[in-house]
Amino acid sequence: MTKDMHFPWHQYALIVKLAECLNHRPRLRAGSNSSYPQFGKTALQKLVYLLQAVYDVECDYDFSLYTYGPFTSELLQDLDLVESIGAVQVLPVRKGMDGYAIKPYENAAWVTTQAKEFLEAHKCALGKLIEEYGHYSAKELEIRATMIYVEREMKGDGKPVSLDGLVRVVHDIKPYFPRDEIKSVAEELQAKEHVKVAADG
Amino acid sequence: MAEPFEIRDPIHGFIELDEWERDIVNHPVFQRLRRIRQLGLTDMVYPGATHSRFEHSLGVMHVATKMFDAIVGRRRGFLVDTYNYDEEGAGLAKDRRIVRLAALLHDVGHAPFSHSGEDLMPEVGKGRRYKHENYSAKLVADLMTDVIEKHPLNQNYDITAQDVADFIEGKPADSLEGKSSAGRRLFWRNLVSGQLDADRADYLLRDSHHIGVAYGHYDLERLLTTLTAVEDPETGSPTLAIEEGGLHAAEGLIIARYMMFTQVYFHHTRRIYDHHLVEAMRSLLAQSKGMFPSPIDKEGLEEYLKWDDWRVVGRLAAGNGGTHGEIILNRRHDRRVYETPEFPGRDDLQRLEAARKALGERVIFEDRAQNSWYTIDSTDIPIVRKAKLDQEVVARLSERSTVVSGLRAVNRRRIYVPIGQSEECRRIVAQMLSSQESDG
Repeated sequence: MTKDMHFPWHQYALIVKLAECLNHRPRLRAGSNSSYPQFGKTALQKLVYLLQAVYDVECDYDFSLYTYGPFTSELLQDLDLVESIGAVQVLPVRKGMDGYAIKPYENAAWVTTQAKEFLEAHKCALGKLIEEYGHYSAKELEIRATMIYVEREMKGDGKPVSLDGLVRVVHDIKPYFPRDEIKSVAEELQAKEHVKVAADG
Repeated sequence: MAEPFEIRDPIHGFIELDEWERDIVNHPVFQRLRRIRQLGLTDMVYPGATHSRFEHSLGVMHVATKMFDAIVGRRRGFLVDTYNYDEEGAGLAKDRRIVRLAALLHDVGHAPFSHSGEDLMPEVGKGRRYKHENYSAKLVADLMTDVIEKHPLNQNYDITAQDVADFIEGKPADSLEGKSSAGRRLFWRNLVSGQLDADRADYLLRDSHHIGVAYGHYDLERLLTTLTAVEDPETGSPTLAIEEGGLHAAEGLIIARYMMFTQVYFHHTRRIYDHHLVEAMRSLLAQSKGMFPSPIDKEGLEEYLKWDDWRVVGRLAAGNGGTHGEIILNRRHDRRVYETPEFPGRDDLQRLEAARKALGERVIFEDRAQNSWYTIDSTDIPIVRKAKLDQEVVARLSERSTVVSGLRAVNRRRIYVPIGQSEECRRIVAQMLSSQESDG
């Protein structure tokens, strides 16, 4: 599969595909009265990060860690391009800082066609991403993406990672999250094998 | 306490340093920044653009400190509650020190001519290259340990070189070893690398000053008196924000970024010189496969430090820079023959593709704004308004400002060809466009 780095259609198409998948689903979650969270700029950042880090899809973004989790400004710039060519709409949700909703728009199909091969090759990974992370709110995605980022960084530095250690580091970054909540996220990710930590002891 | 040292600065007046910081500034790793230009070969367009990373780094330290003090002065309670700082403020004092040191040292890893050299940094895996921040962090951690850790003024803080390196790279991992404050410093990292950071705050003003343009001017003092920290309502994370009184100053900052990007950083001639410089330096680095030494060990770092603008210029002057070196020496750069609008639509991209096909092998370089080192994205700044009963209401700047809501990331693309073929290529493009028009 070749990627055109002059026209990184795979990156543009990924944004559109995520907008399509996360907008074209029932309003309410199955078996629940609650609706799915909106797909906004924070969710886009975290989902693309997870697609790269957990599902090994090379999206060619370089994320860096901030208090609000893994982030890359390149993705925002690409979102603006995708919006300006009419493949998505980025709409403020309501007054305040509740964020934006990213929705597919009239040229969505044109953009996804340009990266048909890429989307086809990673159809399965995208499906898994949506299934396993698509129902989380921006806040829930942020804590998960941060934890996975930290685990990868520590392993990259050759440091042993235990469950308690991981919880401690993430709590250090996000002390406003209760430690119990962080721990249950770590256990959830460990059960999914999205983080691999040694037994505490 | 000893009198501070003062350095005269064209933007901020006097920048104060203490003995510890003066020793760091005098370290060879920092002094090298005198020989790294801030804006590469921008002087090919704006002759005044010959200032260095040295003065910018001092400026970033100065502005980051003012930002830190402004936020702590305004939101101490919020910070203490959120990050469990002790009431005496020892943690805050230490973090202030680390912010100053990281701001001072954040650019020591730059390659010759700043960002242009980043294309020649070795791969770190999966097609990714090291960035100058990685070199900065390694240089600090591996070569500046003594000057950071052993100074008597550090006795009160116990700051390690690794603390500063982790701050620069955004690494939280050391807290595993019992230090429980590395993570909260990620919040302060926004002051050195973020949407409202001291890096941009300084370079917009400094570059404007040296170049002789007014595009990058904005009201820094007003921003500082309104800079604050709030909880992001969407995610609950603490984030930098501006109080309502600074709304127009924040608008000014965003407009300054946009203007400097379009008029200076993404100037079509400046961008082609970045390309020529990268290719010329690739020739100079032929013995190391066209790449700078890796920062993986001390030997590589020491070799890397030998590369500065002086070395590159000397070798280019000696005729070792190949075709691109000659182009730079003679200012006979490749020419832009086609470009899209700043915000291209679907038709514009299709026309670009058609132009590229029509020009074929004549295309030497295709540029796109996303590849520019000075990104202009649509990151929004939170604006805080006091409502009834002192309740805080947070809104996006793009919602409060019609000027900002109309701005988007610049996504212009350009095609360049050799100077000798530029007339012919312009004719080809014009023919292609007119035949498209008549077909349409």
